[in-house]
Amino acid sequence: MNKKRLLLLLLFLNLGTILAQQFIARQGQVTFFSYATVEDIEAKNNQVLSILDFDKKEIAATMLMRAFVFKKDLMHEHFNESYIESDLYPKATFEGFLLEGLENAGPQVQLIKGKITIHGITKEIEIKTKIQKTDNSYNISGEFNLTVKDFHIKIPPILSNNIAKIVLVKFNFQYEPYENN
Amino acid sequence: MNLMKIIRTLYFSAFVAFLPFSIEAQGLLDKLDKEYPKNPTYEMATFKTTRLGLGHSVETRKKGALEISWYNRYWNRPTGETQFFLADEVNMRFGLDYAISDNFTIGVGYSTWDEIADGYVKYKFLKQTKKGNPFSMVALQTISMTDNMMSKSLYGGNSSSNNYSFTSKVLIARKFNPKLSLQVSPFLITRSEAPMSNNPGTQYGIGFGGRYKVGGHVSIVSEYYSVFNPVKSIKTYNPFMVGVNWELSHLMLQFHMTNARTFAEDAFITQTTNNFNFHDGNFHFGFNATFVLHTSKNKL
Repeated sequence: MNKKRLLLLLLFLNLGTILAQQFIARQGQVTFFSYATVEDIEAKNNQVLSILDFDKKEIAATMLMRAFVFKKDLMHEHFNESYIESDLYPKATFEGFLLEGLENAGPQVQLIKGKITIHGITKEIEIKTKIQKTDNSYNISGEFNLTVKDFHIKIPPILSNNIAKIVLVKFNFQYEPYENN
Repeated sequence: MNLMKIIRTLYFSAFVAFLPFSIEAQGLLDKLDKEYPKNPTYEMATFKTTRLGLGHSVETRKKGALEISWYNRYWNRPTGETQFFLADEVNMRFGLDYAISDNFTIGVGYSTWDEIADGYVKYKFLKQTKKGNPFSMVALQTISMTDNMMSKSLYGGNSSSNNYSFTSKVLIARKFNPKLSLQVSPFLITRSEAPMSNNPGTQYGIGFGGRYKVGGHVSIVSEYYSVFNPVKSIKTYNPFMVGVNWELSHLMLQFHMTNARTFAEDAFITQTTNNFNFHDGNFHFGFNATFVLHTSKNKL
């Protein structure tokens, strides 16, 4: 019976470590760039939430579209009102997994595969990311391109020179151990 | 016996230990959703423009925005020599509006036909939120001044001094859904000049307005003002407008059909002397163009 007890104890400990293997980023940064003939548009969101599950190699991120800050306030209004329709689709989300996991201690480049949802449309995506481990946290950054049309975002023909067809997205998440398990 | 007890306790604690595990199974995104700060979410863009068509809307621009506006009203003379479609007469208003803060805007303008200079202060004191405030509310105070002896305004014609009119309005609007917004605006109009021939000195009433979005950039708008105590010396009609607002990046275009000929709030609300129909002299075509210039830019 002593063996059984030990086994359970081990299981307990193991569970504890699994639970501790989640990391969260509360002030993740996502920036997007639209380079078009008429104007360049840049917007930044500093309040992106992301969570990283070490054990399951899973990663998720979510953000409020309203939290994007633009250089010009009118762009913010048009982005939310006329293009992204944030009243109907307030969030953009990403759910995916790391292809290799995080056993390696050093800085590394890895593919993350998953599903991105913007404007109510979900697309499969592969993102090349840079992962760095520092003490007890991780930093994940990278960039990828999104085709505006893929997400059913309508641009009137008369404004087609104001907004790029392909938008560059950059992100940088600084994770810390997640305490609310 | 004792052993069984121990085993039972162990199994129980194992079960308890697995509980958080089952909670975890709900997915990482759900977990993140709980991390969002609980700030109130304000409704944005109840209307796209600071004017619905004729009068003000609850919209104010963000701090540092300068609106340069050019409003036009075209109509034909009912009698005499007339030109092509709506080319007889035109009233133009040139305006500048500046947002001192997100909620406080000042503006000035000048109308060519009735030679009225006008100015206003506008303050948004309540913002509609997703959960909580059902309305946005704005206080508006305008002043309009006419000093020309030959002024075509009903209350013009005093050469010795300027005539001032003051319009106080409370604008109450609600965005019901992403497409539909409605506005009511009780108003009070007073004048510096004593009223002639038992006309009311102070006039009051209520305005109604609404918009319905038909696309991301285009909306149908309408406005109506009901004056409870119209002037008695001359027949006046309540102003009505129906039109289309179109936003093109930094340029807002408004096209409308109306019976109102003038732009100053007191003038078009209480001094519209023609009814709304398609006869010459009554039918007015309005075209407003407003350009928004950002004098201050956000740092990213």
